[in-house]
Amino acid sequence: MVDAAAARTRVQVASTPTAAPLLRVRALVKDYGAVHAVRGIDLDLNRGEVLGFLGPNGSGKSTTIRCILDLLRPTSGRIEVFGMDPRRDGVAIRSRLSYVPGELRLPNRMSCAQVIASIGRLRGGFDPTRRDELAERLKLDLRRPTRQLSTGNRRKLSLLLAFLWPVDLLVLDEPTSGLDPLMQHEFVGLLREARATGATVFLSSHVLSEVQRTADRVVVLRAGRVVAQGTVEELRGRARQRVEVWFEGDVPSYLKDVPGLVDTAVDGHRFTASLTGPIRPLLAFLGSQPVTGMLVEEPDLEEAFLDLYEERA
Amino acid sequence: MSGPSAELVLAPLRSIRRATIIWGVALAVLVAATVSVWPAFKSGSGVSQAIDQLPQGVVQAFGLEGFGTPAGFLRGNLYAFFIPLLLVGVAIYFVSSLTAGEEDAGRLELVFAQPVPRRAVFAGRAVAALACLAVLVVVTALVQWGADAHVHLSINGGRLGATLALSALLALFHGGLAVAVAGFRPRTSVVLGIAFVVAITGMVAALLFPLSAALKPFAHLSPWDWAFAGDPLVNATAPWRYLVLALPAVAMALFGIWAFGRRDIRAA
Repeated sequence: MVDAAAARTRVQVASTPTAAPLLRVRALVKDYGAVHAVRGIDLDLNRGEVLGFLGPNGSGKSTTIRCILDLLRPTSGRIEVFGMDPRRDGVAIRSRLSYVPGELRLPNRMSCAQVIASIGRLRGGFDPTRRDELAERLKLDLRRPTRQLSTGNRRKLSLLLAFLWPVDLLVLDEPTSGLDPLMQHEFVGLLREARATGATVFLSSHVLSEVQRTADRVVVLRAGRVVAQGTVEELRGRARQRVEVWFEGDVPSYLKDVPGLVDTAVDGHRFTASLTGPIRPLLAFLGSQPVTGMLVEEPDLEEAFLDLYEERA
Repeated sequence: MSGPSAELVLAPLRSIRRATIIWGVALAVLVAATVSVWPAFKSGSGVSQAIDQLPQGVVQAFGLEGFGTPAGFLRGNLYAFFIPLLLVGVAIYFVSSLTAGEEDAGRLELVFAQPVPRRAVFAGRAVAALACLAVLVVVTALVQWGADAHVHLSINGGRLGATLALSALLALFHGGLAVAVAGFRPRTSVVLGIAFVVAITGMVAALLFPLSAALKPFAHLSPWDWAFAGDPLVNATAPWRYLVLALPAVAMALFGIWAFGRRDIRAA
């Protein structure tokens, strides 16, 4: 059931000599009347990359994704996918990508196998062996009617559909929402396999550990704007570190003036604070002090994102 | 049609297959049951004489003229408004549920994410609704002709075909309107509301406005008047009556498909 187009390998596509980003978004704005869902987003997704797309509910993640897929028409701004305009070249673009929607609503009175067959006919065929393999890995009974599927099983079906075809770009909107930890692990495995064969991934997620494990770069949205982007390590570097210092005598009163220290507190000979930014000024100061002990905790990635989400950063 | 194009029609057809069967059975039963009364009616039920006592305007309004004749019997019992109204309702319901209803429920998002033109998805659903409507018209015609032959209800086949064709085109007109509204605004309530208000208003105008000298001219604004004012079961139908229903239906459907291509797809 695999036709020539569907059987096109990603290796061939990956060899296309171009350095341009696979996805380019510039000054994207999407308004719903008086509601400003997206307020000028710029982002690039490079070929072969896994980009984590993070943000609290209502930050504009799904709206951006739906604009990329031409499900929504931007109020202004420009989107290029594979160098093409989603509005003009939507069919060509969608033939090279798979999409997992944030919430999958399925036709009534169909089994999972029938849904796959129907979508397969729209895509010009599929490999039944691959379908069965994915169904087994995701523990999805293809005979089950869609109306009997739990949230988790609906999610499994959408993942099966996403990984069934060898596409160049996977657009995944909260792909593990509703999945148990075992299936989340399986998803990460599928993602890594897809990436190993050259697929590029646009991953919107609330699960930080999942993003941390899979993403090369992260873009964080808040209120329709990009508030941070970089590698996971770069974002971790922005996170607050918890610092505790014990002194032989009283805590020097001017310690709190060291750059980067916030939320300072003194409890007898013990000084506690949060450190934002480089640790060098603190170490330089403490080098000349009667310090008896010191503890610096690993930056908490979740804390870093919460800072970004809540405008504390 | 190639594979993907065929699937854009076949998938929605599968989803309303059961509804089409139920509607087909209902129409068949209605037609067969009505026609089965003809032998008893013809042999002197007294209804025909009773109708003759009614005011002429009422007789005209409810399509009861010549009720004792085969054409009058079918007109008064089925084709003055029952069959056309059912077909109109079915057309509106099918279009609404396959377009705005499915989009409103978020069930089309997966389809729109596939490599198919979004207008083709919408058009495929309109075509599926049209195909189901055609099936119902054929079922109605076959049952009608079969039942007529069985009880020896002598009716001109051409006139009956014209009446059914006009009923189908009237349904198509309102289906086209539903496509236009759904293309513009994907809300089931809006699609059903506008299409049914137009259908019922048109029917009332065609049936009752002729009773009032002041309102009578406005009856000609009704699609029901365009379809049935010429009494197609009795008289030959002028070609313009087909065109005046079919052309706006096609135009409205094309407008809906065009409008659909320009707007956002509703999220789940």
